[in-house]
Amino acid sequence: MSVLMRCSEIATRPVVTMAGEALAQVKDIVYAADGGEVAGFTLAGRGIFAGPLDRGLVWSSVAALGADAVMITDEEALAPLQGVLDRASSHRGSRSDVLGAEVLTDTGTALGEVVDVIVEVGAENRRCDVVGYEIVSSEALGHRGTKVLVPLPDTLSASGEHLMVPASATAFVRDDLAGFGAAVDAFREQLGGQR
Amino acid sequence: MLFSTVLGRQVVGSSAADTVGQVAGFVVDPATRRILAVEVKKADSGTVLPWSRISTVGEDAVIVSSAESITVPDDATAALEGKAHVLVGKRVLTSAGNQIGTIDDVDFDPQSGAITALLLDTGTVSGSRLVGVGSYAVIVDVH
Repeated sequence: MSVLMRCSEIATRPVVTMAGEALAQVKDIVYAADGGEVAGFTLAGRGIFAGPLDRGLVWSSVAALGADAVMITDEEALAPLQGVLDRASSHRGSRSDVLGAEVLTDTGTALGEVVDVIVEVGAENRRCDVVGYEIVSSEALGHRGTKVLVPLPDTLSASGEHLMVPASATAFVRDDLAGFGAAVDAFREQLGGQR
Repeated sequence: MLFSTVLGRQVVGSSAADTVGQVAGFVVDPATRRILAVEVKKADSGTVLPWSRISTVGEDAVIVSSAESITVPDDATAALEGKAHVLVGKRVLTSAGNQIGTIDDVDFDPQSGAITALLLDTGTVSGSRLVGVGSYAVIVDVH
Protein backbone atom coordinates (compact mmCIF):
# COMPACT_ATOMS: atom_id res chain seq x y z
CA MET A 1 0.00 0.00 0.00
CA SER A 2 1.40 3.37 -0.95
CA VAL A 3 0.57 6.75 0.55
CA LEU A 4 0.74 10.25 -0.94
CA MET A 5 2.02 13.13 1.17
CA ARG A 6 2.77 16.82 0.84
CA CYS A 7 6.39 17.57 1.72
CA SER A 8 5.32 20.61 3.76
CA GLU A 9 3.58 18.17 6.09
CA ILE A 10 6.76 16.12 6.54
CA ALA A 11 8.82 19.12 7.68
CA THR A 12 8.72 19.51 11.50
CA ARG A 13 7.59 15.89 11.88
CA PRO A 14 9.49 14.24 14.78
CA VAL A 15 12.15 11.57 14.17
CA VAL A 16 11.36 8.80 16.67
CA THR A 17 13.29 5.63 17.53
CA MET A 18 11.60 2.27 18.08
CA ALA A 19 12.44 2.79 21.77
CA GLY A 20 10.07 5.77 21.80
CA GLU A 21 12.59 8.61 21.99
CA ALA A 22 12.23 11.67 19.74
CA LEU A 23 15.79 12.55 18.65
CA ALA A 24 15.10 15.38 16.20
CA GLN A 25 12.58 16.82 13.81
CA VAL A 26 12.67 17.04 10.02
CA LYS A 27 14.02 20.39 8.85
CA ASP A 28 14.07 19.95 5.09
CA ILE A 29 13.71 17.25 2.46
CA VAL A 30 16.72 16.38 0.30
CA TYR A 31 15.95 15.12 -3.22
CA ALA A 32 18.20 12.69 -5.09
CA ALA A 33 20.38 13.93 -7.95
CA ASP A 34 17.78 13.14 -10.64
CA GLY A 35 15.04 14.87 -8.63
CA GLY A 36 12.69 11.92 -8.86
CA GLU A 37 13.21 10.53 -5.38
CA VAL A 38 13.68 11.60 -1.78
CA ALA A 39 17.30 10.98 -0.77
CA GLY A 40 16.94 11.92 2.87
CA PHE A 41 16.26 14.65 5.38
CA THR A 42 18.14 17.42 7.10
CA LEU A 43 17.32 17.66 10.80
CA ALA A 44 16.80 20.22 13.51
CA GLY A 45 16.63 19.82 17.24
CA ARG A 46 13.18 19.60 18.76
CA GLY A 47 11.51 22.69 20.18
CA ILE A 48 11.09 26.27 19.05
CA PHE A 49 14.61 27.45 19.89
CA ALA A 50 16.56 24.43 18.71
CA GLY A 51 18.88 24.94 15.74
CA PRO A 52 19.89 22.71 12.82
CA LEU A 53 21.78 19.49 13.61
CA ASP A 54 25.09 18.40 12.07
CA ARG A 55 23.57 15.02 11.37
CA GLY A 56 21.03 14.03 8.74
CA LEU A 57 18.99 11.00 7.81
CA VAL A 58 19.37 9.10 4.53
CA TRP A 59 16.21 7.46 3.14
CA SER A 60 17.68 3.94 3.39
CA SER A 61 17.92 4.38 7.18
CA VAL A 62 14.25 5.35 7.53
CA ALA A 63 12.20 2.48 8.95
CA ALA A 64 8.87 4.12 8.16
CA LEU A 65 7.43 7.49 7.21
CA GLY A 66 4.05 7.84 8.84
CA ALA A 67 1.44 10.54 9.25
CA ASP A 68 2.74 11.54 12.69
CA ALA A 69 6.42 10.57 12.80
CA VAL A 70 9.50 9.44 10.89
CA MET A 71 10.47 6.12 12.47
CA ILE A 72 14.08 4.92 12.77
CA THR A 73 15.53 1.84 14.48
CA ASP A 74 17.87 3.71 16.82
CA GLU A 75 20.28 6.64 16.99
CA GLU A 76 22.74 4.79 14.68
CA ALA A 77 20.41 5.64 11.78
CA LEU A 78 21.51 9.28 11.87
CA ALA A 79 24.48 9.99 9.58
CA PRO A 80 26.84 12.97 9.15
CA LEU A 81 24.96 15.75 7.35
CA GLN A 82 27.47 16.11 4.50
CA GLY A 83 26.94 12.50 3.46
CA VAL A 84 23.22 13.19 3.11
CA LEU A 85 23.74 16.38 1.12
CA ASP A 86 26.22 14.65 -1.24
CA ARG A 87 23.37 12.52 -2.50
CA ALA A 88 21.49 15.58 -3.62
CA SER A 89 21.82 17.34 -6.94
CA SER A 90 23.80 20.57 -7.04
CA HIS A 91 20.70 22.37 -8.33
CA ARG A 92 17.33 22.12 -6.64
CA GLY A 93 18.74 19.88 -3.95
CA SER A 94 16.28 20.70 -1.26
CA ARG A 95 12.64 21.55 -0.87
CA SER A 96 13.27 25.25 -0.43
CA ASP A 97 15.06 25.31 -3.82
CA VAL A 98 12.11 23.77 -5.63
CA LEU A 99 9.50 26.00 -4.02
CA GLY A 100 8.81 29.13 -6.00
CA ALA A 101 10.21 27.65 -9.23
CA GLU A 102 8.14 27.92 -12.39
CA VAL A 103 6.76 24.80 -14.03
CA LEU A 104 7.01 24.85 -17.85
CA THR A 105 5.60 22.31 -20.27
CA ASP A 106 7.85 21.00 -23.04
CA THR A 107 5.71 23.03 -25.44
CA GLY A 108 6.66 26.22 -23.62
CA THR A 109 3.58 27.01 -21.55
CA ALA A 110 4.06 28.22 -17.98
CA LEU A 111 1.67 26.26 -15.75
CA GLY A 112 2.38 28.04 -12.51
CA GLU A 113 4.62 28.31 -9.47
CA VAL A 114 5.52 25.39 -7.18
CA VAL A 115 4.15 25.71 -3.62
CA ASP A 116 4.59 22.10 -2.50
CA VAL A 117 6.01 18.75 -3.56
CA ILE A 118 3.95 15.54 -3.50
CA VAL A 119 5.75 12.30 -2.66
CA GLU A 120 4.56 8.71 -2.70
CA VAL A 121 5.83 6.39 0.01
CA GLY A 122 5.82 2.93 -1.53
CA ALA A 123 4.90 -0.38 0.05
CA GLU A 124 7.60 -1.69 2.44
CA ASN A 125 9.21 1.78 2.29
CA ARG A 126 11.53 0.76 -0.55
CA ARG A 127 11.58 4.23 -2.06
CA CYS A 128 10.06 7.64 -1.61
CA ASP A 129 9.09 8.80 -5.08
CA VAL A 130 8.43 12.40 -6.11
CA VAL A 131 5.16 12.09 -8.04
CA GLY A 132 3.91 15.65 -8.43
CA TYR A 133 4.00 19.33 -7.63
CA GLU A 134 1.34 21.43 -6.05
CA ILE A 135 1.32 24.69 -8.01
CA VAL A 136 -0.52 27.98 -7.97
CA SER A 137 -1.88 27.80 -11.49
CA SER A 138 -1.46 30.35 -14.26
CA GLU A 139 -4.10 31.19 -16.93
CA ALA A 140 -2.88 28.22 -18.96
CA LEU A 141 -4.85 25.82 -16.73
CA GLY A 142 -8.04 27.85 -17.00
CA HIS A 143 -8.38 28.77 -13.34
CA ARG A 144 -5.72 31.29 -12.45
CA GLY A 145 -4.52 31.51 -8.88
CA THR A 146 -5.94 28.26 -7.56
CA LYS A 147 -3.85 25.45 -6.10
CA VAL A 148 -3.71 22.35 -8.29
CA LEU A 149 -1.64 19.16 -8.43
CA VAL A 150 0.48 18.37 -11.50
CA PRO A 151 1.77 14.82 -12.02
CA LEU A 152 5.43 14.24 -12.87
CA PRO A 153 7.05 11.65 -15.12
CA ASP A 154 9.24 8.92 -13.59
CA THR A 155 12.44 10.71 -14.50
CA LEU A 156 12.46 14.43 -14.17
CA SER A 157 14.19 16.97 -16.36
CA ALA A 158 14.85 19.76 -13.91
CA SER A 159 17.02 22.42 -15.47
CA GLY A 160 18.76 25.09 -13.48
CA GLU A 161 15.91 27.57 -13.83
CA HIS A 162 12.73 25.78 -14.72
CA LEU A 163 11.01 22.53 -13.94
CA MET A 164 9.89 20.97 -17.19
CA VAL A 165 6.99 18.55 -17.59
CA PRO A 166 5.46 16.95 -20.72
CA ALA A 167 2.51 18.97 -22.10
CA SER A 168 0.27 15.92 -21.68
CA ALA A 169 0.57 16.35 -17.89
CA THR A 170 -2.08 19.10 -18.07
CA ALA A 171 -4.71 16.45 -18.83
CA PHE A 172 -4.00 14.79 -15.49
CA VAL A 173 -4.11 17.84 -13.22
CA ARG A 174 -6.16 17.28 -10.04
CA ASP A 175 -7.51 19.47 -7.26
CA ASP A 176 -6.76 17.28 -4.24
CA LEU A 177 -4.73 14.26 -3.13
CA ALA A 178 -7.69 11.87 -3.32
CA GLY A 179 -7.53 10.43 -6.79
CA PHE A 180 -4.18 12.06 -7.58
CA GLY A 181 -2.38 8.74 -7.19
CA ALA A 182 -4.52 7.22 -9.94
CA ALA A 183 -3.90 10.29 -12.12
CA VAL A 184 -0.12 9.89 -11.70
CA ASP A 185 -0.33 6.20 -12.63
CA ALA A 186 -2.47 6.93 -15.69
CA PHE A 187 -0.14 9.76 -16.77
CA ARG A 188 2.97 7.60 -16.46
CA GLU A 189 1.32 4.70 -18.24
CA GLN A 190 0.47 6.98 -21.17
CA LEU A 191 4.05 8.30 -21.30
CA GLY A 192 5.39 4.75 -21.25
CA GLY A 193 3.11 3.79 -24.13
CA GLN A 194 4.46 6.57 -26.32
CA ARG A 195 8.04 5.41 -26.09
CA MET B 1 -5.63 -6.96 36.33
CA LEU B 2 -5.31 -3.23 35.61
CA PHE B 3 -2.48 -0.87 36.63
CA SER B 4 -5.09 1.55 37.99
CA THR B 5 -6.60 -1.02 40.38
CA VAL B 6 -3.24 -2.05 41.88
CA LEU B 7 -1.90 1.50 42.14
CA GLY B 8 -2.05 2.73 45.74
CA ARG B 9 -2.59 -0.78 47.12
CA GLN B 10 -0.85 -1.80 50.35
CA VAL B 11 2.23 -4.01 50.24
CA VAL B 12 2.00 -6.45 53.19
CA GLY B 13 4.77 -8.62 54.62
CA SER B 14 3.44 -12.15 55.34
CA SER B 15 5.96 -12.96 58.09
CA ALA B 16 4.96 -10.13 60.40
CA ALA B 17 1.59 -9.30 58.74
CA ASP B 18 2.51 -5.65 58.71
CA THR B 19 2.14 -3.03 55.99
CA VAL B 20 5.59 -2.42 54.54
CA GLY B 21 4.72 0.04 51.77
CA GLN B 22 2.31 1.19 49.09
CA VAL B 23 2.30 0.56 45.32
CA ALA B 24 3.40 3.77 43.55
CA GLY B 25 4.07 2.59 40.00
CA PHE B 26 5.28 -0.08 37.61
CA VAL B 27 8.61 -0.68 35.90
CA VAL B 28 7.93 -2.33 32.52
CA ASP B 29 10.59 -3.98 30.35
CA PRO B 30 9.46 -3.54 26.72
CA ALA B 31 11.94 -6.20 25.55
CA THR B 32 10.19 -8.97 27.51
CA ARG B 33 6.79 -7.17 27.67
CA ARG B 34 6.67 -7.90 31.40
CA ILE B 35 6.58 -5.95 34.65
CA LEU B 36 10.16 -5.98 35.92
CA ALA B 37 9.38 -4.47 39.31
CA VAL B 38 6.79 -2.53 41.29
CA GLU B 39 7.69 0.92 42.57
CA VAL B 40 6.93 1.26 46.28
CA LYS B 41 6.58 4.32 48.46
CA LYS B 42 6.53 4.64 52.27
CA ALA B 43 8.95 1.71 52.61
CA ASP B 44 12.02 1.82 54.86
CA SER B 45 14.34 -0.51 52.93
CA GLY B 46 14.08 0.85 49.39
CA THR B 47 11.88 2.03 46.51
CA VAL B 48 11.38 -1.00 44.27
CA LEU B 49 9.97 -4.48 44.68
CA PRO B 50 11.33 -6.91 42.03
CA TRP B 51 8.50 -8.93 40.44
CA SER B 52 10.25 -12.22 41.37
CA ARG B 53 9.96 -11.38 45.08
CA ILE B 54 6.19 -10.87 45.05
CA SER B 55 4.31 -13.78 46.62
CA THR B 56 0.83 -12.78 45.42
CA VAL B 57 -0.91 -9.83 43.81
CA GLY B 58 -4.23 -10.20 45.61
CA GLU B 59 -7.56 -8.42 45.30
CA ASP B 60 -6.79 -6.05 48.17
CA ALA B 61 -3.07 -6.25 48.84
CA VAL B 62 0.29 -7.20 47.37
CA ILE B 63 1.86 -9.89 49.55
CA VAL B 64 5.62 -10.21 50.05
CA SER B 65 7.54 -12.39 52.51
CA SER B 66 9.05 -9.51 54.47
CA ALA B 67 9.97 -5.84 54.32
CA GLU B 68 13.44 -6.82 53.06
CA SER B 69 11.90 -7.79 49.71
CA ILE B 70 11.75 -4.09 48.92
CA THR B 71 15.20 -2.97 47.79
CA VAL B 72 17.09 -0.21 46.09
CA PRO B 73 16.82 -0.55 42.26
CA ASP B 74 19.55 -2.51 40.47
CA ASP B 75 21.05 -1.15 37.20
CA ALA B 76 18.56 -2.88 34.88
CA THR B 77 15.60 -1.60 36.89
CA ALA B 78 17.03 1.90 37.33
CA ALA B 79 17.44 2.19 33.53
CA LEU B 80 13.74 1.52 32.97
CA GLU B 81 12.45 3.50 35.94
CA GLY B 82 11.28 7.09 35.95
CA LYS B 83 8.86 9.36 34.17
CA ALA B 84 10.29 8.72 30.69
CA HIS B 85 9.29 5.06 30.87
CA VAL B 86 5.79 5.44 32.29
CA LEU B 87 3.13 4.03 29.95
CA VAL B 88 -0.10 5.61 31.19
CA GLY B 89 -0.86 9.01 29.66
CA LYS B 90 1.64 8.61 26.81
CA ARG B 91 0.88 8.85 23.08
CA VAL B 92 1.03 5.61 21.09
CA LEU B 93 2.77 5.45 17.69
CA THR B 94 2.81 2.40 15.42
CA SER B 95 6.15 1.30 13.97
CA ALA B 96 4.82 2.78 10.69
CA GLY B 97 4.83 6.26 12.26
CA ASN B 98 1.10 6.79 12.77
CA GLN B 99 -0.39 7.93 16.07
CA ILE B 100 -3.27 5.70 17.18
CA GLY B 101 -4.14 7.12 20.59
CA THR B 102 -3.09 7.67 24.20
CA ILE B 103 -2.70 5.02 26.91
CA ASP B 104 -5.40 5.18 29.59
CA ASP B 105 -4.56 1.97 31.44
CA VAL B 106 -2.59 -1.27 31.15
CA ASP B 107 -3.86 -4.82 31.68
CA PHE B 108 -1.44 -7.45 33.02
CA ASP B 109 -1.35 -11.06 34.18
CA PRO B 110 -1.04 -11.00 38.02
CA GLN B 111 0.73 -14.37 37.98
CA SER B 112 3.49 -13.79 35.43
CA GLY B 113 3.57 -10.00 35.26
CA ALA B 114 3.16 -10.18 31.48
CA ILE B 115 1.55 -7.15 29.81
CA THR B 116 -1.60 -8.53 28.19
CA ALA B 117 -3.20 -5.38 26.77
CA LEU B 118 -2.75 -1.63 26.36
CA LEU B 119 -6.03 0.22 26.89
CA LEU B 120 -6.06 3.31 24.67
CA ASP B 121 -8.60 6.10 24.53
CA THR B 122 -9.38 4.82 21.04
CA GLY B 123 -9.45 1.05 21.70
CA THR B 124 -7.42 -1.90 22.93
CA VAL B 125 -4.01 -3.03 21.65
CA SER B 126 -2.59 -6.47 22.46
CA GLY B 127 0.38 -6.38 24.85
CA SER B 128 2.33 -8.63 22.47
CA ARG B 129 2.61 -5.68 20.04
CA LEU B 130 4.61 -3.54 22.50
CA VAL B 131 7.98 -2.56 20.99
CA GLY B 132 9.33 0.36 23.00
CA VAL B 133 8.56 2.84 25.76
CA GLY B 134 10.35 6.19 25.60
CA SER B 135 9.97 9.76 26.74
CA TYR B 136 8.22 10.76 23.48
CA ALA B 137 5.95 7.82 22.82
CA VAL B 138 5.04 4.18 23.33
CA ILE B 139 5.79 2.26 20.12
CA VAL B 140 3.64 -0.70 19.04
CA ASP B 141 4.06 -3.02 16.07
CA VAL B 142 1.73 -2.30 13.12
CA HIS B 143 0.60 -5.90 12.77
